[in-house]
Amino acid sequence: MIYIQNISKTYQSGIIQVKALQNINLTIKKGEFTAIVGPSGSGKTTLLNLIGGLDSPSHGIIKIDQTDITSLPENDLIDFRLHHIGFVFQSYNLIPVLTAKENVEFLMLLQKKEEDQRNERTIQLLKAVGLENQIHKKPNEMSGGQQQRVAVARALASKPDFILADEPTANLDSSSAENLLDIMFKLNQKEKMTFIFSTHDSRVIAKAQRIITIDDGQIINDYYR
Amino acid sequence: MIVKIAFKNIWRNSLRSCTVIMAISLGIFGGLAVISTATGLSKMRQNNAINSYISHIQIHDSNFLAYGRLTDTIVKQKEIVRFLQKNPIVSGFSSRIKIETFIQSAGGTSAVILNGIEPINEKKVTDINTKLEEGNYLSDYKRKPPIILSTILATKLNAKINTSVQCSFVNPDGEATTIVFKVVDIFATNNSMYDQMNAFVLIDHLKNTAHKGVHEMAINLKDESYVEEFRTTLISQFPTLEIDSWRGTAPELGYADKMMHLVLIIFLIIIMLALAFGIINTMLMAVLERKKELGMLLSIGMNKNKIFLMIVLESTFLALISGPIGLSISYLVVTFYEDAGIDLSFASSGLKSVGIESTIYPFLDSNYYFIISVLVILTAILSSIYPAFKALKLNPSETLRTAN
Repeated sequence: MIYIQNISKTYQSGIIQVKALQNINLTIKKGEFTAIVGPSGSGKTTLLNLIGGLDSPSHGIIKIDQTDITSLPENDLIDFRLHHIGFVFQSYNLIPVLTAKENVEFLMLLQKKEEDQRNERTIQLLKAVGLENQIHKKPNEMSGGQQQRVAVARALASKPDFILADEPTANLDSSSAENLLDIMFKLNQKEKMTFIFSTHDSRVIAKAQRIITIDDGQIINDYYR
Repeated sequence: MIVKIAFKNIWRNSLRSCTVIMAISLGIFGGLAVISTATGLSKMRQNNAINSYISHIQIHDSNFLAYGRLTDTIVKQKEIVRFLQKNPIVSGFSSRIKIETFIQSAGGTSAVILNGIEPINEKKVTDINTKLEEGNYLSDYKRKPPIILSTILATKLNAKINTSVQCSFVNPDGEATTIVFKVVDIFATNNSMYDQMNAFVLIDHLKNTAHKGVHEMAINLKDESYVEEFRTTLISQFPTLEIDSWRGTAPELGYADKMMHLVLIIFLIIIMLALAFGIINTMLMAVLERKKELGMLLSIGMNKNKIFLMIVLESTFLALISGPIGLSISYLVVTFYEDAGIDLSFASSGLKSVGIESTIYPFLDSNYYFIISVLVILTAILSSIYPAFKALKLNPSETLRTAN
C-alpha cells in the first residue's frame, strides 16, 4: 500500500519557483494497474519520482507499507528501492555491456541472492516476457521492444512491491507497445503485481484499472474503471 | 558482477581506452628509459673515476690533505701494508707520492700533479696502464727517469714520446728542485680534467722528495659493497690517518649520485602527475557520458559504495593493462641497450670533459620495475577518486530527466 499525504514539490529554476506538485493526497492499493495521465509538464514524472524515492518532496509524507520513505537516509533509501520498488524507464536504460540475462540477474546479485535462485528466476522472467531465446544478447543486439521487455523482467527480478513505469511505451512501435502492455497486464492479473504508469499513451490508459489525471501539479481526476 | 561491468566499461569506447593505455605505457617506458640512461651514465662516470684514478679507498696523512706538504707522509705505512696483505677482501693496493710541480718543455709550461707510482701494484688499483698509446708503463727506460703524460698535457706542452720535460718544485728542505724526465708514453682517460692535471713517474724517482715515505695509498676491494665496512675497520685500526671511501675522496661523484636520485624522483613525480591527469580526464569524461546510466544504477538500487568501486576499478584496470605493457617494452629496450649501449659519439668531446664515455650502457635496478608498478596502480586509484566522487553526486531523478 502506498500512502501519499499532502505532498508538494517546488523547484527553484533560477529566481523563479516552479510548483511541480501541490497538495497531492493519494492511496494506491496492492495489485492496482494505475495510469497517471496528464499533459507534458503537468507533474506526472515528478510524482512518480517521489513515489520511487528518486526525489524528495518539499512538503508531505510518502509511506510505503508503513515505511516513511521521505525520512529515510540516502543509503537506506537506495536499499529500500532495491528491495521494494521496480523501475521501467522510457528509454529502457539497460546496462549496455551486459547480456539480457545478466541485466535481469544484476539486481538479484545486488540483493546477494544465491546463484541457483538467480538463474532460475532470470530464466523464468525472461520466459514470461517472451525472451527466453535472447538471453545472451546485449541491448544493442535487440529491438526497442525487446529491450523494454528485458527492462520489465529486470524490474520484476528483485520481487518488488510495485513497479513504476515512466512512459514505458513512448519509444516503442505500436505492436511492441501492445505486446509489452499485454505482458505487464498479465503479470498484474496473475501475480497481483502493482503497476503505476506515467503515460500519454491511450493504449496504456485503455488497459488501466485506475486513472489519475494531473494538471498543473494537482490531481484533477481520479477514478476506477 | 561489478568487476565484470567495470572491465567491460573500459572497452565501450575502445579508441579512447586504447589511447589512454598507449599513453600510460609510453609514459612508463619514457620514464624508465630516462631513469636507466641516467643511472647508466652516473654509474659509468662513477666506475670510470674509481677505476682510473680514485680506487675504492684512499689513505692519507690528515695534514697532507689540508696543506699538501711533502713532509706529511703516511705513518705506519708498513703496518698498513701488512694489514692489507692479510685481508682477503682486498684485491690490490698501491702507494703513491704526489707532488705539485710545474712541468716545462720546449713547447710550454703547465701546473701538474706528479704521481710517483709502483707500476705493478698500481695496475691492481687503477687502469691507466690500459689507456696507454705505446703500452710502456714506466718499465722501459735508459738514463733519464721516465714520465707518462696525458694526450691533453702532451699537446699543451708540445711534448712527444722520447722528448724531455722538466718538473720543478720545492723539496721538503725548502730548496728549488728540478728533475728532467723523458716522455715514454701518452695516456688518455675519459676525464679530460683529470688528464690535464696528472702525470705519472716511478715512485723510486721521487722518494728523496718525501723523506722516504708515501703520501697516498689506494686500495681496491673485491666487491664494492664492502667499501664502507672495510673503511670503518681501517679507521679503527689506524685512527690517526685520513681514510676515505671513493665517496669522500671524490665527493662530487657522491653528490652527482644523490642529485641524480633527486632528479629521478622529480621525474617520476612528473610522470605520475601526467598519468594522473590523463586518468582523471578519461574517467571524468566516462562519468559525464554515462550520467544517465549511473543515474539508472542509483535508481534501481546500486548503492554509492558500489558505484564508487566501479569507477575506481575501471581506472585500476586501465593501469593494470597499461602497466605491464609499459614495463615489458621498457624491459626489452633496456635489456637490449644494456648490452649494445647507446652511441653518443656525436657528443663525445663534451661527455669526455665530465668523465663519460661516448657509449652509454643503460642500467635499471629491478626495484624500479616494482616501484613503478606500485606507483602506477596507486596513481590510477587516487586519480579515479575525483571522478568517482563526481559520480556519487549525481541526482538520479535529474540525470534520468535530462537524459530522457
